[in-house]
Amino acid sequence: MTGSAPEIVEGSPAVEPVVTAPVDARRRLVGRPAGIGRFLTEGIGGIVAVGVKELRGRMRGRRAFVILTVYLLLLGTFAWMMEMILEKEYATILSGTAAFASAQIGQGIFIALMMLETLLVVALAPAFTAGAISTEREKQTLDLLATTPISSLAIVIGKLFSALTYLFILVFASIPLTAVVFVYGGVSPDDVIRGYAVVLATALGLGSVGLFFSALVKRTQAATIISYFGVLAVTLGSYFVFYFWTSMTGGGGAFTNGVGPIRGKPPEVLVYLNPYYAQADVMCGVENGFGEWCTRIAQVTDNSVLGGTTTNAGGVTVDPAPGVVGADGGGFKPMPVPAEPAVPGQPEPDRRVAQDDVSPFGVVRDTFWPKSAVSWLVVAVVLTLASVQLVSPTRRLRLRLPGSARRSMRSSI
Amino acid sequence: MSAIVRTEGLVKRYDGTLAVAGLDLDVEEGEIFGLVGPNGAGKTTTLRILATLLDPSGGEAEIAGLSVRRNPKEVRRVLGFMPDVFGVYDDMKVWEYLDFFGRCYGLPADRRRRLIGDLLELVDLADKRDHYVQSLSRGMQQRLCLAHALVHEPSVLLLDEPASGLDPRARVELRELLRELRAMGKTIVISSHILPELEELCTSVAIVDHGRVLAQGRVSEIERRLRAGAVLRVRLLDHADLDRAREHFEAQPDVASVNVLDDGTIEIGFRGSDVETAKLLGDAVGAGLPIVTFARAASDLEELFLQVTDRDAPVVLQ
Repeated sequence: MTGSAPEIVEGSPAVEPVVTAPVDARRRLVGRPAGIGRFLTEGIGGIVAVGVKELRGRMRGRRAFVILTVYLLLLGTFAWMMEMILEKEYATILSGTAAFASAQIGQGIFIALMMLETLLVVALAPAFTAGAISTEREKQTLDLLATTPISSLAIVIGKLFSALTYLFILVFASIPLTAVVFVYGGVSPDDVIRGYAVVLATALGLGSVGLFFSALVKRTQAATIISYFGVLAVTLGSYFVFYFWTSMTGGGGAFTNGVGPIRGKPPEVLVYLNPYYAQADVMCGVENGFGEWCTRIAQVTDNSVLGGTTTNAGGVTVDPAPGVVGADGGGFKPMPVPAEPAVPGQPEPDRRVAQDDVSPFGVVRDTFWPKSAVSWLVVAVVLTLASVQLVSPTRRLRLRLPGSARRSMRSSI
Repeated sequence: MSAIVRTEGLVKRYDGTLAVAGLDLDVEEGEIFGLVGPNGAGKTTTLRILATLLDPSGGEAEIAGLSVRRNPKEVRRVLGFMPDVFGVYDDMKVWEYLDFFGRCYGLPADRRRRLIGDLLELVDLADKRDHYVQSLSRGMQQRLCLAHALVHEPSVLLLDEPASGLDPRARVELRELLRELRAMGKTIVISSHILPELEELCTSVAIVDHGRVLAQGRVSEIERRLRAGAVLRVRLLDHADLDRAREHFEAQPDVASVNVLDDGTIEIGFRGSDVETAKLLGDAVGAGLPIVTFARAASDLEELFLQVTDRDAPVVLQ
């Protein structure tokens, strides 16, 4: 049977009213504009439909707002306590000006707040999304959703964003509080933007991890547990492996070339998904360059190294030729090199950094966190697409077939 | 060709098990079509394939001339599906539930508003508009689920065991609702393992077992065919006459079997027509048997169902 209109049997015109319905339906379908425009309208419509539905439930009543208020009160108290601690610390330092101490306090509060925000996201993002798909399965509502024309992609994206919306609200609500650090100084607005960029990218990435396991595993509980194992793996796990590797090379961080059983420093990619390393990079930019965050991130990247020790800060041209200090061992490197015309036919050495990447304290900025943020975004895209495959009722990955088939079999008999 | 729902040689395999084994269905427009079969017959699988939730392993399934395999999105726009087990979202009000599905079908806001009022009126839930979905009774949730399937004004409704778990009153209400929908020109395919549920409601039925259609047609047609294999139940005034009665009936033409049940009821497997049935009764009375009741077994379709779905000796009716 093709798309032809149902024949009306001769001599029985009475059937006509009944016959028209599907024909109209078909005409309506055929008459629809096809192509990318329709795809977009339908996709966005679907995302909005799922998003509105989810948020209605989540934001209903006072609960959501009470939680937000309590959270801000706690965060405010934390910031105040940090301020008190730092004030006491700097009260004992006799040298330096009040302005310098104030800037130090501002930086201290900022670092503490960003670390706390990161912790919040790491702890909450998977919890918010790990139930997104599996609850639909548990409540047996996914079938109802799957028989609507809304695409699996729209379902998944709508779920991800609505689940993360509340988390984003918590994060964004903390921005005014974080802005308190401007009163103290020592932190610039772009530091705040960097810090929050890391937090948001991590939230999106970890949210998609929760979502993926929610689509893969049948039960919310199992999905939550697996997601948290994932979180532990990328935070503590990656840190530990990195630490282990560094130790095995024969030393901690700098100057570790070929002493231990493992040769060469651990690859950066190992900790790309560790939001604390990304924040350490941001924090290093805030600090004066001699602090612990810079040391920590210097263990990971070759580039981010404090200036002033090996070269004159301010960018004296030093040829960062390979083979000199720290070329493959990872360690202190000659400082910033101003832009220099590249030798034709010879690629510019990638360890060079442009003058404007260098902060007044001689710290190379943005060497690590953008990679971390991009990695999380890539993870988010890949896992979201994988979740779409798992949600789609008829186009499942091979991987899933046996289990799902048995399940549908059980439900069908 | 006016079949609006059609399957041809539909096959679905799960891990080597054949759930649907070459199923052919033809449902005409405006029908209430009953899919009857015991548990595990392949009804749900068939409906889920038609609802684009499962890919068939073989064969073809079409709704309104659209292949469920090639045009699932278009098919979803012309059909409304109500699964056998379905859940409701927590934290959602009745009107929000319908509003959500309206959005899923891309209906504009003003149309959604109007439609929600109309649909709640239709399924008799207008006064529950602002109640939470999870606070509704099972029957109400069932009706709400039916309303959700009507949001986009589909021409075909697939209802999987809609009456399961409902009390008799809710069943009657559901039946009325389905009649009303049919009057609105919708084609309804409904599955059930309980025959009496469908007998009064359906215009046509297909009896399915082991993933195959054993009998399909108008209820009256199937009934007519069944006449050849009816079971008659006879009760006598006095059990002392049982043996004599058995001998008498066994000697009659067209009698296939005579069984005496523990409570004294005689069950006669009878192949004769109505005329012959009347003659059988007349002769029995003439032979002096004190007959108190003489009736065809309660549900014709039920009997047929049992006959054709007999696992040991499946009978395929032509």
